[in-house]
Amino acid sequence: MATNIQHSKKRVCYYYDGDIGNYYYGQGHPMKPHRMRMTHNLILNYGLYRRMEIYRPHKATQEEMTKYHSDEYIRFLRSIRPDNMSEYNKFMQKFNVGEDCPVFDGLYEFCQLSTGGSVAGAVKLNKQATDIAVNWSGGLHHAKKSEASGFCYVNDIVLAILELLKYHQRVLYIDIDVHHGDGVEEAFYTTDRVMTVSFHKYGEYFPGTGDLRDIGAGKGKYYAVNFPLRDGIDDEQYTEAVFKPLMTKVMEMYQPSAVVLQCGADSLSGDRLGCFNLTLKGHGRCVEFMRKFNVPLLQLGGGGYTIRNVSRCWTYETAVALGVEIANELPYNDYFEYFGPDFKLHISPSNMANQNSPEYVDKIRTRLFENLRMLPHAPSVQMQTTPEDAIDTDKAKAEDDEAADSGKNDEQRISIRHSEKRVANEEEFSDSEDEGSGQRRDMRTHKPKRHKKGSQGGDTEDTSDAKTEPDTKEEKADAKA
Amino acid sequence: MAANMYRVGDYVYFETSSSTPYQIRRIEELIKTPNGNVEAKVMCYYRRRDISSNLISLADKHQSVVEELEKSKDKEIDQAKESANKETKDPVKDPARDPIQEAPKVLASLSEKERHQLKHRELFLSRQMETLPATAIRGKCQVTLLNETETLGSYLHKDDAFFYSLVYDPAQKTLLADKGEIRVGSKYQAEVPPWVAPSDRSPSPEIERDTLTYSPDHGLDDKTIDQFLVICRSVGTFARALDCSSSVKQPSLHMSAAAASRDATLFHAMDVLHRQNYDISKALCSLVPTSGPVLCRDEMEEWSASEANLFEEALERYGKDFNDIRADFLPWKSLKSIVDYYYMWKTTDRYVQQKRVKAVEAEFKLKQVYIPNYNKNESSLSNLSSSRLCESCYTSTSGQWYSWGPAHMQCRLCSLCWPYWKKYGGLKFPTKMEAVGSVDLSTTGNGATLIPSASSSARGLPAAALVGLPSPNPGVPPLGAAANLALVQQLATMKDGPCRCPMCGKEFKQKAHLVRHCITNHGLNMNLPTAATPNPCMPLSLMRSSSPRPIVKTRAAFYLHTTPQTKQLRRQCKAIIKPRHAARNPFSSVDLATIRLEMQTKPLVGIVPKKMKNRGHVVDVSHRLGMPQIPKPEFLLPTPPEKMYKAFPEAFPHKASLKRAAAQDAAIAAKRLALQSDFSNTPVPANLSVASVPAAAIKSTRKHIGNWNPTQGNQPDDQFFKATSSIKKVRKTKLSLLQIRRFARRATKYAFNMNKPNLAP
Ligand SMILES: [Zn+2]
Ligand SMILES: [Zn+2]
Ligand SMILES: [Zn+2]
Repeated sequence: MATNIQHSKKRVCYYYDGDIGNYYYGQGHPMKPHRMRMTHNLILNYGLYRRMEIYRPHKATQEEMTKYHSDEYIRFLRSIRPDNMSEYNKFMQKFNVGEDCPVFDGLYEFCQLSTGGSVAGAVKLNKQATDIAVNWSGGLHHAKKSEASGFCYVNDIVLAILELLKYHQRVLYIDIDVHHGDGVEEAFYTTDRVMTVSFHKYGEYFPGTGDLRDIGAGKGKYYAVNFPLRDGIDDEQYTEAVFKPLMTKVMEMYQPSAVVLQCGADSLSGDRLGCFNLTLKGHGRCVEFMRKFNVPLLQLGGGGYTIRNVSRCWTYETAVALGVEIANELPYNDYFEYFGPDFKLHISPSNMANQNSPEYVDKIRTRLFENLRMLPHAPSVQMQTTPEDAIDTDKAKAEDDEAADSGKNDEQRISIRHSEKRVANEEEFSDSEDEGSGQRRDMRTHKPKRHKKGSQGGDTEDTSDAKTEPDTKEEKADAKA
Repeated sequence: MAANMYRVGDYVYFETSSSTPYQIRRIEELIKTPNGNVEAKVMCYYRRRDISSNLISLADKHQSVVEELEKSKDKEIDQAKESANKETKDPVKDPARDPIQEAPKVLASLSEKERHQLKHRELFLSRQMETLPATAIRGKCQVTLLNETETLGSYLHKDDAFFYSLVYDPAQKTLLADKGEIRVGSKYQAEVPPWVAPSDRSPSPEIERDTLTYSPDHGLDDKTIDQFLVICRSVGTFARALDCSSSVKQPSLHMSAAAASRDATLFHAMDVLHRQNYDISKALCSLVPTSGPVLCRDEMEEWSASEANLFEEALERYGKDFNDIRADFLPWKSLKSIVDYYYMWKTTDRYVQQKRVKAVEAEFKLKQVYIPNYNKNESSLSNLSSSRLCESCYTSTSGQWYSWGPAHMQCRLCSLCWPYWKKYGGLKFPTKMEAVGSVDLSTTGNGATLIPSASSSARGLPAAALVGLPSPNPGVPPLGAAANLALVQQLATMKDGPCRCPMCGKEFKQKAHLVRHCITNHGLNMNLPTAATPNPCMPLSLMRSSSPRPIVKTRAAFYLHTTPQTKQLRRQCKAIIKPRHAARNPFSSVDLATIRLEMQTKPLVGIVPKKMKNRGHVVDVSHRLGMPQIPKPEFLLPTPPEKMYKAFPEAFPHKASLKRAAAQDAAIAAKRLALQSDFSNTPVPANLSVASVPAAAIKSTRKHIGNWNPTQGNQPDDQFFKATSSIKKVRKTKLSLLQIRRFARRATKYAFNMNKPNLAP
């Protein structure tokens, strides 16, 4: 059973429809919606269920879906069935439906439920009615505006982000699926209101995009961040050398007011289609890290083709979202036998070789830091007014957290350590002294603006290290002061 | 030890010929063959020297133009960035860019020697697979996709390090970058909604469209909830005791309790709590309404034993094609409930049993293999005493010498340069000799006219390839490019149905299976059209890089395509190739250099078509011992239909024959009963008896293993087999007397398909 160990409690809303596990992509297809049901049953039996608001999501309407997708494409998805496929031959090719994205019974309903959960989560976050929204049925990041791709038909992520954008000036999208999050990147390739960050295997691998040099276009230039990786990356390298330093920098430079995290579990060791060597701990550490920024967080599913590990992973990450620790011994549940022979929650990494040398990762990270330095410090339009909502929630959170003060110090310590690392890197690779200091000045000049409404923000200067984390930290301090 | 342990995913050197450089491959699969050998299924990487110089120079030339273009474009973009708002497209990434040419600045900093050696480190990925004996592995290497953050020089400082950036298609002779593209335009991007200032936000009177099913904001502590869950299980157990159908399925209290503890009950309990507003006493009352205690059953429990049997039988026959299973076996079930059931069924002992069988099969797929260092005397060791210097480093002293290059030139390498040559496929220094060597040893544009296409793939292949013997791992002969394209197009337009290949016509339910079949059985190459101009009628999903699924595993991938030129070569250089000898020794290598020299020096001999000997028809030879004129003996002639035995129609059957039939039926029934004690009395669904009728009985004979699962109780059920009129008809018309007898004697052994009764058993 779950026990509360971690200090910071957060409100978590969880979206799940009991039917989702019964959709079936077809014989031999690696995508198995059943993994969501396995996750759900584990969540129940671990006692996590009783700690969240559980919602059965609405079925997203055609109108909702066409906020991004083309009318013709959605109409097609709504009409096509296994028994009338032959009439749609031409369209199936046009929309790339048939092979990897097969027509199966209830396809449209499946898309409706997956999308419904993600959009509902976004609405919930917009209303500030929750801190974290979780939809493991979502995260289908390959779907394009008028095209299915890589087992994805409707891009629930893009639709959820569009919803968030109504109330949030800047939304950060993070993708830890082993595949590049091409659908989301493409949708927001030319805007600076969404930054997409994807960590993925690159090179002779689906979908073929996600090059280091793909950085966005037009106004969106530098707002697409791609971290190409090679086979076999392990927990330590992934979290400490790749994810944390980069995300620290991104959070500092971009300062999003909402974060969408795609938790594709095909980056785990032993995935049927993946090639990384992560365990639940490394994967979950990414979620934990983003959670600590205290920014509204939408946590979505994604890939994951060794379903026993997918359900382990997402169960664990639900616990992470709740800030509770769960036992390594799996509780009995309807699918208990799937988890043999050990019946444990955590998995071990394999002995596969890690083809990412420290130098390689360092160089990529450096290059990405250089790109991030190109960002304007106060992203144009966004800084004119301060989003009230963000500050309000932060204040509420700060109050929530007061009981658990010791824990926060802990958090702060971690963040400081990272900032040191980051600063060191910056020194090492910065092109000129002036540029660096100018940036810091920029930071300072815009900070007070953001705090305009956040009461008496007197102590912005004292914690220069804490700046690496978003302003929420300082606001917490404000609230206490 | 670890260095000699080779795993799937490792990049390795393979030696296929003692005189040529190693081949660089990635292990995709390790398979233990029945005779105990280990075969490696590998992905091929090509060296620069393996690719026609035409192609390389084309890519190089193209590159310099692109460079210029990009530079100017980059400037534009930087300017555009200043003037912000305009949408600018990023520099178009050209598909063919060669990193060596790409970074002239970097290259300038390298010495000529380094630049020369760098060319040995560049590889080209191909999507070609082949199967090689694992014993030919000669060490590990490292191949990485070149990243622009890396300096090319870094590869020179590491042993056995290679890079690639382009994909080579050996069939189409094309190079292209394996790179997707993020498209820009209103057809691809989302329309970003305007941000609504907090002051302008409507107070959201929206109706809540999502249904709250549980809320953590209640006064109940963990302990109370746990207690409530226990009570729910107890009520469920009691409900099963009261329920007649349950008490049949779960004859013991233990089983009822287990059934009542399944997740369905717990989910219901949480629902009840929420609906009763977290009031425990109200919730308790709602568990036992006046109509009786609440009973929650999932699919696992809902299904009868006979349905479970039907499902297993269907699964065995159709695989996991649940639509077909539903249509032909369980039409009264919904697809959802079948899928639901399937995933629960996988937790049963029966499934675990099946899995064990699969695990044994999987044993032939190895995760790693140990290959000791190769220490055998290399045949290339030169015994000739010669005063020639090393062709690579010009040393005159070396412990051992290796003969290198065409035999008549008597070139040799020192013991340091030889491993370099084997690993990197070149000489350490750019020399005149290497130019000669490259003319002799690698395919050049000019050479291509004489020894065309086949040569580049044949070089380094065992003699078997040149001679055209099936190699030890016979590959699938590839289709010609035109046939291939035609087939791909056909596949693109068709949904399912028969294979269109001549002489095949196999039926497939799903297109994916058909495609797989075509690739494995007909050597279809799905990648061909990608390399050529993109074909508009090709669905993107047919290509590898557009699918997250791994490429179809082909059984073996090195194949021989004998071109007319190769044929001519065989004839003209008969003395060197010694086809008879090579046929007997498929792995001994053929000295291509000498052959080429021969071809270059000697005038072409026109092919004299051989006179065909009339050896008669092979059928005649085999069947009639080559003497087709001998008249067929009478016993070989088919009986004319009018002489066939006809059963006398019995209008009024004798009582004796009726009795006999009844006795037969009873015997069958008894045997079947003994074998499957729990086949229930549910009648066989109507369509089952039409689509596929067991020969004499229903086939499912798997014995039940002791199973704790409450739904799989061992209840003996009454059963009978009713021969419908259609079955009787089949017996009479489609089965021979012999078959009926055979079925009668071994009622449970045979099953046959009603539609094709002749194929039984
Ligand atoms: Zn993925
Ligand atoms: Zn030498
Ligand atoms: Zn065929």
